[in-house]
Amino acid sequence: MDPAQPTPDVAPPPGAVIASSGDVTEIELVLCSYCDAVHRRTQAAGGKTMRCATCHSPLYRGNGDLGAMLAVTITATIAFFVANTLPLLTLTSQGQQTRATLWRAIVASYDSQLPFVAVALTLTLLVVPAIELGLLLWLLVPLCLRTRPAAFHAVMAILQTLRPWRMIEVFFLGVIVAVVKLSGLATALPGWGLFGVAVMSFSLAALASFDQGALWRRAEELAR
Amino acid sequence: MTRGIDVGLATCHTCDLVVNMGAPARPPAGACPRCRSPLRFRKPNARTHVIALLIAATALYFPANAFTIMYTEQFPLRRADTILSGVVFLWQQDEWELAVLVFAASILVPLLKLGALAFLVIASGRGSTWRPHARTKLYRVLEVIGHWSMLDVFVVALLTAVVQLGQFARVAPGPAVLPFAGVVVLTMLASASYDARAIWDRGVLD
Repeated sequence: MDPAQPTPDVAPPPGAVIASSGDVTEIELVLCSYCDAVHRRTQAAGGKTMRCATCHSPLYRGNGDLGAMLAVTITATIAFFVANTLPLLTLTSQGQQTRATLWRAIVASYDSQLPFVAVALTLTLLVVPAIELGLLLWLLVPLCLRTRPAAFHAVMAILQTLRPWRMIEVFFLGVIVAVVKLSGLATALPGWGLFGVAVMSFSLAALASFDQGALWRRAEELAR
Repeated sequence: MTRGIDVGLATCHTCDLVVNMGAPARPPAGACPRCRSPLRFRKPNARTHVIALLIAATALYFPANAFTIMYTEQFPLRRADTILSGVVFLWQQDEWELAVLVFAASILVPLLKLGALAFLVIASGRGSTWRPHARTKLYRVLEVIGHWSMLDVFVVALLTAVVQLGQFARVAPGPAVLPFAGVVVLTMLASASYDARAIWDRGVLD
């Protein structure tokens, strides 16, 4: 909770790009997105959140380690495959055991004339996370190897649009509630797929705590 | 406090670059030099968008709570549950932790979002100077809890899908599922449309 210092009331020359990349000699300014207060960007120690002196909202985070972001993305990708291939839960009823993987559940709901359920599950647990993880790898792998990824701006814009709709952690809680509710009808036990969903939730949440501006700065550095 | 708008600075909403717009005029013209997105000092027509989305969400709130969200059938038991009766049923089955969780996610959070956003948009529309820190904090809380209300939709979808697989009972989603998902999505859009800077502008700009 250490607030960044507000800057003096000196306006920079018109047309100037102020907080441009990497260049240490330039004054880097930050505007609070909650109250519009002007701050001077200071070096935040790794992982620390800088807060606005006026409204105490988070301004930016100090952790912009692209290698660490890539590592977390790879973890999330592996967890994504685990979540989608191994059973989320196992049901036992009248001596009959059913392993419910996500894909089989989608197919079953589609076959029982419930296309809305099938579409909702496909979008939230398959399509949206697959696009998000794919695009993150598309950006982070080349950036870590110091080459500029193709279509950088478009990909960043898509990722920014998708981020608020990430619901994997809600789905995780949903599986747990479903397991408990099912225990009234049959014996329900959580499976390894659920572990995959949990790891995926935590790693995507961890990814949100990095400074996204680091991607822009590295891409600009490479464009020069 | 020096505001960005007072000194002609705007943040790009796509790439977070701080750009000098020249004169502190509105509406500002120009695109971000880094990513070409249009630059603005404030979210355009924020108030109108929030109010419209809130009205739509409130309209859907009633069918979402009045209609059945889930049908359960396991011989000889047959149930048609609304969101509230589902919570009560969990409570009666001594799953009180779960009942509290579902109650918070499905009933408390949507109500809180509708009420708090209406309060925020009215207060900043009137240029209120009442406790700006608390109002900013309230808005940040709304941003964080927004998508958790989707919990019940996932539970119904999962139960339906899994039970079809096991074929020992029948579970089907009811007519309340779509309006309920609508409330969650519309309130998420409404809170994303609200511009918290209006709290600190004291209504001068909006």
